[in-house]
Amino acid sequence: MLLTELAEKIGGTIVVDNPSANITAAYTSDLLSDVMGHCGEESALITIQNHLNAIAVATLVGNEAIVLCHSRPVPDDMKAAATREGIALVTTPLSQFAASVALQELNPSQK
Amino acid sequence: MTMMIEDVVKTLDGKLVAGADTGRAVGAVVANDLMSDVLLDDSDDILLLTSLASDQVIRTANIIGAMGVVVHNGKPLPEAMCQAANNFGIPLVSTPLAKYQSCVRIHEFLSRE
Amino acid sequence: MNDYQPTILPADAGQKDDDIMAAHSLTGTKESPLVILEMLQRLRVRDVMKADGVVSVVRSDTLHFAQNLMKRNSISGVPVLEEGRLFGIVSVNIIIKALEGGYIQDPCHKHMSTSLVFLEEGMPLALAIKYFQNYTFGRFPVLDKDRKFVGIVSQRDIMRAILKELAEELARYEGKKPAAATVPFGEVSTSAYTMQQYPVVHNDLQNAGRAANEIKRLLAGAGVDKKIVRRIAVAAYELEINIAIHSVGGTLTFILDGQKVTIIARDRGPGIADIEWALRDGTSTANDWVRSMGFGAGMGLANSKRVSDKFEIKSVVPSGTTVLCEFNLKKD
Repeated sequence: MLLTELAEKIGGTIVVDNPSANITAAYTSDLLSDVMGHCGEESALITIQNHLNAIAVATLVGNEAIVLCHSRPVPDDMKAAATREGIALVTTPLSQFAASVALQELNPSQK
Repeated sequence: MTMMIEDVVKTLDGKLVAGADTGRAVGAVVANDLMSDVLLDDSDDILLLTSLASDQVIRTANIIGAMGVVVHNGKPLPEAMCQAANNFGIPLVSTPLAKYQSCVRIHEFLSRE
Repeated sequence: MNDYQPTILPADAGQKDDDIMAAHSLTGTKESPLVILEMLQRLRVRDVMKADGVVSVVRSDTLHFAQNLMKRNSISGVPVLEEGRLFGIVSVNIIIKALEGGYIQDPCHKHMSTSLVFLEEGMPLALAIKYFQNYTFGRFPVLDKDRKFVGIVSQRDIMRAILKELAEELARYEGKKPAAATVPFGEVSTSAYTMQQYPVVHNDLQNAGRAANEIKRLLAGAGVDKKIVRRIAVAAYELEINIAIHSVGGTLTFILDGQKVTIIARDRGPGIADIEWALRDGTSTANDWVRSMGFGAGMGLANSKRVSDKFEIKSVVPSGTTVLCEFNLKKD
């Protein structure tokens, strides 16, 4: 799934673009330690964590995109880090539940 | 479709670990690990989907009057969490699924005619 | 049935659920006479004085005008104030003499008492009480260190403050006695009064939230409307977590008084320099450890304000923050 497609499905706004992103799976979590433990590569991370550390974790596990829920504002340092690390950042007014459902075709068991 | 806690258990291939069925159906689904965020939701009969395994989750669930709590990734549950769930009478479900999968499956169930 | 087997970790030794609250109720208890002495030293004049809505006159007002003010507000003296500067006091005695002498239409500055005894706002209450013993005045004006008028304090104000503090101390002694929990909540039960105070320990996230859950239980047991119980519980919980995360420790006080519930969260520091900032959604100084526990998203204060009918916050750096949330139990 391309970033533009993803953004459209969740009524989102692309804050940091990554045209080459190919999102094949999603992981929903707000605990960065949990993300590090379970989240796989190429995933979109669906979260509420509008914190610089979310970029650090996404870089570690190899996420291509972060979906920030509840229209949480993106701090400048987070935006700068995402740009630097080449991680796409999309904000959506949806909750984590609604965003996960809207992106359900990424679910491995649905394929 | 109306979803009771036993439907949640079945749908998520999970187990009811503590607390008992209260006869309340899922009114809203909140997937969140930040308890301060959970407190912002005013919906009734919330089913709380989380990756956090601590008795603090149960206390939060009790404050908002949640109908149930699901912990994901087969995360080990502290006994204090189970005890708290029993004390407050809040059904506590453990599932091997990731939260994302739970969201998708629960929505699929709720959307059935 | 599936064959999934959840894992349950055994409880830590010594982490018995119900014991913890009971143990907490005992922390910080003192010998009773010391409690009062400590209280009189700890409380300052500024803590008990009337600062807002002080009735005053200006020098050119007539004594007759001052007399009417005093009558309307049932007070026995009124300060003569202009732009924060205190010029004198007009007391009942002065009014009586004016009525006898037939000069009640004279301006205040001609007859007001100008040999003033005043208290400083930072004085401990113990000293203020000495003033009341040594002089016959019913009230004293209170000035700040720049000699600006900041309030007025009467014996009644002091009595009220001491009684309130004593009640809080007593509530702490009594810990979690459930006596008041079952006060019936009929439409006319205006005499229902319950007060509970819970200590909240810094960084003790294991136990933070217990007081709020206890408060919820009390209210549900008293038959309060479910939606209101939830709002009160949310505010109590947010404030309790806030004390645990951000302060060096403090107390959460719950007062059920007739048709009103008040939650007071008081901590012993370090205080909030910018309250506007702290009240904004998503503002947080929480560290990563706190965040990993699922807290510290920075919405605690804003959320407790959101659910309250009345919200007040006062903070002094570095001595501490007090937050008050009020809830009307009567639905209108």
